[in-house]
Amino acid sequence: MRPTWPTRGAGTEQEPADEDAGAQGPEEGHDAGPGDGLADSGAEHGRSPGARLRRAVAAGAATVLVLGGCGFLRAAHELRSDESARNRALTDTEATSRVAGDVGSALARIFSYTPDGTAAAERSARTALDGKAARQYTALFDRVRQDLTAQRVTLSTRAVRTGVVELDGDRARLLVFLDQTSRRGDDAATTAAAQLTVTARLEDDRWRIVDIKAR
Amino acid sequence: MRRARILAGTGLALALGFCGTSAWTYAQARADDGLAYGRERDAALADGRRALAVLTTIDASTRQRAAGSVRDWRGVSTGPLREELGATAARAGASARGTVTEAAVTALDTRSGTAKLIATVRVETTPAGTGKPAVDRKRLEAVLARTGEDVWKVKALSAVPVQGEAVPVQGESEESAR
Repeated sequence: MRPTWPTRGAGTEQEPADEDAGAQGPEEGHDAGPGDGLADSGAEHGRSPGARLRRAVAAGAATVLVLGGCGFLRAAHELRSDESARNRALTDTEATSRVAGDVGSALARIFSYTPDGTAAAERSARTALDGKAARQYTALFDRVRQDLTAQRVTLSTRAVRTGVVELDGDRARLLVFLDQTSRRGDDAATTAAAQLTVTARLEDDRWRIVDIKAR
Repeated sequence: MRRARILAGTGLALALGFCGTSAWTYAQARADDGLAYGRERDAALADGRRALAVLTTIDASTRQRAAGSVRDWRGVSTGPLREELGATAARAGASARGTVTEAAVTALDTRSGTAKLIATVRVETTPAGTGKPAVDRKRLEAVLARTGEDVWKVKALSAVPVQGEAVPVQGESEESAR
């Protein structure tokens, strides 16, 4: 067996190279210009396995680089568009303090009134409230307006803590702690706590409350 | 042949350029202060919510369980609050279960690793024996600190008091707030 190895080895080594040249010759002819077709296929003949390997490595490297690039782009996009990136609460200090201030003062105005009338509060509510919150507020006032004047109720509301949970462009969700001091006729004033989750929407450069939920 | 080689070289260079630019874009996003701040805020909020739920919960049906609850408290607190809670004697008695209904981070300093959080908590208290559970709503303010293992823990916890001389009347305020 042994002595046959080198010859067989040489034979197999030679064969594919020949086949290769046969297969590639015409191809190269198409690819390259008609003039240097012959010379090229001759050069190809000599270092064909190396050239093929090099070509495969180059193609592989290019594929890996492109795939890697796509991966990086995707990861960067995810970083910039995930939940915590879209939420501008606290990251945009100016917008955060603005929505907190607007909503806090709006709540104070619409939940403060004197026995002489709820007109001022209701007027504030028309500009500060919208959607579901406006409907809830109107329904509430239609129910209690008579009693308020009859029992001479005074209510004053202050926002003691305001936290912005979410701020995404023109929508915001806030948690507001209120202190409400009420007085009925000449009775002593009582102060109560109220906690609200408020949803607000930015319209015409003004934050309007669209939903209020007691917590 | 030469043209093919030039093409291959150009292709490789383009691929390399594309990959490099993308990697740079990713590195920029990774290092973006605003994005990092947002992630830190959400981490503080999530850890703070979990910690407040633990701190308003105690299973005191038996002494052992009460001791377990106190251990949990120590696990989510740090600094003075942790020491204070550690001194709590575990006794069987009324149990409570707290659920954070809403919470917001009101201040965040990523450099010093401190944050402030406000939260509303619904606490269901069950007296020892076969008592009926009572539901209470609390408004809390917590100071959080980022600990070494990158977890936010509660450093101080207090109820936000009603600033008035009179006793609060819960029902009335809720009605007028709606």
